[in-house]
Amino acid sequence: MSKVNGLTRRASLALAASFSALPVMGLPGTAQAAPVRGGKMVYGRYADSLFLDPVLNDANVDIWVMTNLYDTLLLPTNDGVGVQPGLATKWEMKNGGKTLELTLREGVKFADGAPMTADDVKWSLDRCRNPKNGPWTDLVASIDSVSIASPTMIVLVLKHPDPSILAALATFNTAVLPKKLFEAAPGTTDEEKAKAYAEKPVGTGPFMLSSWQRGVSMKLVRNPHYWKKGEDGKALPYLDEVEFQIIPDDSTRLLKLKAGELHGTEFVPYSRVKELKAEKDIRMELWPSTKVSYITLNCHPKLKDGTDNPLSNVKVRQALNYAVNKDAIIAIVTQGLGVPMTSFMSSTTPLHHKQTLYKADVAKAKALLKEAGFPNGFETSCMMVAGNQDGLNTLTTLQQMWAAIGVKLKIEQLDNPSLTKRYRAEDFSMRTASWTNDISDPGEITTYFAYFPNIGSLHSGWQNKKVDALYLASNEEVDVKKRAAQYKEIQEIYAAEAPIVFLYETPYPVAFRKNALGFVQIPLGNNLFETAYVAK
Amino acid sequence: MRAKIPLAIGMALLLLMLVCAAVPSWFAPYDPLEFDFAALLAAPSPEHLFGTDQFGRDMLSRTIYSARIDLQIAVFAMGGPLLIGSLIGLLVGWYGGWADAVFGRLADVVVTFPFLVLVIAIVAILGPGLINMYIAVACVGWVVYARLMRGEVRVQKAADYVAAGRVLGYSTGRILFRHVLPNAVRPVLVYAVTDMALAILLGSSLGYLGLGAQPPEAEWGALIADGRNFFTTAPWVSLTPGVAIVLAGLGFSLAGDGLAALLDVKR
Amino acid sequence: MNRGAWLLGRLAQIVPSFLLIGVVVFVLARLLPGDPMSAMLGDHASDATIARLNAQLGLDQSIPVQFLAFVEGIFRGELGVSIAYRVPVTQLIAERLPATLILTGLSAVIGIVVAVPLAFIAAMRENQWPDLVIRSVFQVGLSTPIFYVGLLLLTVFAAQLHLFPVGGYGEGWADHLWHLFLPACTLAFSFAAILMRSLRGAILQVLTAEFVDFARAKGLRSRLILGRHVLRNALIATVTLVGLHVGSLLGGAVITESVFAVPGVGRLMVESIFARDYPVIQSLTLVLAVLVSLAFLVTDIVQMWLDPRVGR
Repeated sequence: MSKVNGLTRRASLALAASFSALPVMGLPGTAQAAPVRGGKMVYGRYADSLFLDPVLNDANVDIWVMTNLYDTLLLPTNDGVGVQPGLATKWEMKNGGKTLELTLREGVKFADGAPMTADDVKWSLDRCRNPKNGPWTDLVASIDSVSIASPTMIVLVLKHPDPSILAALATFNTAVLPKKLFEAAPGTTDEEKAKAYAEKPVGTGPFMLSSWQRGVSMKLVRNPHYWKKGEDGKALPYLDEVEFQIIPDDSTRLLKLKAGELHGTEFVPYSRVKELKAEKDIRMELWPSTKVSYITLNCHPKLKDGTDNPLSNVKVRQALNYAVNKDAIIAIVTQGLGVPMTSFMSSTTPLHHKQTLYKADVAKAKALLKEAGFPNGFETSCMMVAGNQDGLNTLTTLQQMWAAIGVKLKIEQLDNPSLTKRYRAEDFSMRTASWTNDISDPGEITTYFAYFPNIGSLHSGWQNKKVDALYLASNEEVDVKKRAAQYKEIQEIYAAEAPIVFLYETPYPVAFRKNALGFVQIPLGNNLFETAYVAK
Repeated sequence: MRAKIPLAIGMALLLLMLVCAAVPSWFAPYDPLEFDFAALLAAPSPEHLFGTDQFGRDMLSRTIYSARIDLQIAVFAMGGPLLIGSLIGLLVGWYGGWADAVFGRLADVVVTFPFLVLVIAIVAILGPGLINMYIAVACVGWVVYARLMRGEVRVQKAADYVAAGRVLGYSTGRILFRHVLPNAVRPVLVYAVTDMALAILLGSSLGYLGLGAQPPEAEWGALIADGRNFFTTAPWVSLTPGVAIVLAGLGFSLAGDGLAALLDVKR
Repeated sequence: MNRGAWLLGRLAQIVPSFLLIGVVVFVLARLLPGDPMSAMLGDHASDATIARLNAQLGLDQSIPVQFLAFVEGIFRGELGVSIAYRVPVTQLIAERLPATLILTGLSAVIGIVVAVPLAFIAAMRENQWPDLVIRSVFQVGLSTPIFYVGLLLLTVFAAQLHLFPVGGYGEGWADHLWHLFLPACTLAFSFAAILMRSLRGAILQVLTAEFVDFARAKGLRSRLILGRHVLRNALIATVTLVGLHVGSLLGGAVITESVFAVPGVGRLMVESIFARDYPVIQSLTLVLAVLVSLAFLVTDIVQMWLDPRVGR
């Protein structure tokens, strides 16, 4: 959902959290004493979920909480870069990377008590890769067939070796659903059934939905059949209940936390982090993320109104980048919590290639503009979602910085659908945006940012044949070193061509009462409550 | 005599606002758009009497320069509805009949919509910005003026001087605009003065939603909305424009009340 | 014209108004740029997906056809299904309406309780210091942005003093009232100011009116004069104003509900506009219009009952 963060297509993986390695070194949430069982945790969210079907949803508000209801065959590790056993306990690549054998965990039950079968797994995988089913099918497009070798063995035959297939099997859209229950849902099409089923979803995750008042609150209760064990050797989750309260206003959400009416809350504005760190009853957690914030530039030779587009000139785009002092932006917009981008993908993305991107240099920016034929600058505009403080702060700062090289920036605040409409029609000069990965692989972000045939490189119109070819080759490259070399080249070309203005990476700022512990948010964004608990 | 004190205070406040809007550079110690990275969110001090915002911009200067935008909002967001509404009210009040019936239904429609929601919808259609905001307000706000004017015109229509004008053979236009209008316009004008305070408040509500004045232009409401994240840590960011907006509102209301008393308009 | 006929005429006027409101809201909703699907699916959904979902929702049909379907639905008592939340609009409105009704009702009560006695004091002491103080305080109320008032009340009375919960709605009647007290005060702030001002004016007018002199001349004690004439006339003014301001209270609820996280229809309305959730925008507008019209009607009836001159 782009309300807060610009880009919509972000999301996350499925479940997570290994039992033993929960308090990962260097990550915020810490469980020191023995966790307390029972009780309820109240968590404030900025927006409600919309559609709790893993396959047909399209928004982070769904994806980031869905992993509490469903499991996937593999699970992302808490650092977000690897995979670990999930509903499958073992996996083996055969036939030169074209066959994948997965051994299913035994004794797994759905929240209604029915056992999970190989049939459910095959049906779920076939459903999520059906090209008619929503936006996520690309992630599993390499699967040619799914078959049941035995009641505990699933075999995937791939069209070609796929370096991201394991990550894909740890991504939310491959979650296992109970086939019988889904098919028994009212409706004739898959979509109608999904709608009915998602009202009362049943999965193998740690919680199940108990009540949901749209836009107000959502209550999850403990799944008594959950398969994962806690530190005490008994079944997770620790909590009996998680209640999500929907409070869109940042100030109100934080006041509720301070007053003790919430145990925790997400999306703490950067401007409030320092203040909350100083509160004695509150613990600020900054979880490493895959989030990058940037400005998308329209690179088409002409704008939609037919006028020449200065941004089509690579030197102009470089000049705009050189004129930006990322450190100053980070200080103002994120209150010092961010770090400068070092590639178009976040440093937490596998195969990220670190570069120093456009160190602020106003003289160089001016020289480049002059070479490009704009010695006196030009006028341009940037769209943003109305009322978004981060976007507003960023653009207000850019307005000043670009004024120094003669570029006059007009800020256009639009409501979300208006902005999306113009973005999709490629009728814009610039827009603010941010991105988080849904899968622990560089392929997803690259297909949106750099690979033209997908969506025209963020609808910028920028195309580089070399990048397109490298990307296609990398999709079938299972040799990690060779794939890394391909990605290095893609990232270098992208940086030099600058179809975006590189800004910053930021962590996920989450705040909790001191006695609310054990929450985990992985870099892909997933909120994990299975090991959360409220101390006395 | 005492009745004139509020009027005097009101006029003084408005005059202050007017002067700030006309020559902000006389009062503002800094360029309102100038960043100061050494003084981000600085507390009030001799250098920055009312502190700075997250960009290190001087809040006093920002607030003073914003008077220009707010005054513009007050005038235009009131002026459009005033002109359109008065004209419609004048005509339907005079002619009555089916025009009056159509007006009645239209007015019902407009007043049954929640005002703010309608304005938000219109601004969403036209795109954010001050001009579109004026258009949106005009689409909704004319009804009050039309109703006031219509009521007044219907009273005046029965007055002796109208009959006298007819006898003298004056054209309808002449009677309407030279005689009825001046006599009927007082309550409308008095309402208009208080309406300006409401216009500024509406601007601030839209600023809260990001749909009002677009940066770097700023009006007080947007400044307050900007500062709401610093409400506890740096209250001066929202307090300075907050005080300005209250003073301006006070100015318009006091002036409106005073004027009403002076012109003996029933409210 | 007798009163019954007057009432019938008044009711007959409402019907074309509703039709007009239906048309206006329908057209306005469709004029909003963008469509629900791209609002919901975001930046990168494929065009084919959007087209398919739009077809499912009937949004690919011509505007008149869609309008007829909408009107037909109303007569069958079906308001459609929310595009964003995928639940029936009637359910959504039924869940959200009570909070807004309690909020506006409570704020009207608070406004009246505060404004009426103060208006009397101000009018009795016209242009003396109680009058000036009361008026100035209320002017401040009239000139402060509503979200600022809300934030102030929240910070002081909820977060610092812990006298009230920080927003929300609670469960059960007493809890609702307790949760909605601060937001209702926020809403009442400007309403009380408007009410106080008009009421003060109305009382002053009555006090100087001839029939009070006449009553005095008849030798009625001044307290009785107050009781009979002034109160009644003040009551008429109050009722008129409350009725007229139901609409603006509902509108003010939009921002109050966001600040206080109250799950009411004001917030739902704005969210639906931003989500291009046509069925919710349309139905909710109609429901609100019905409510406001009802308030106007009740106002008229009460006025008629209090003041025999009306409706003759």
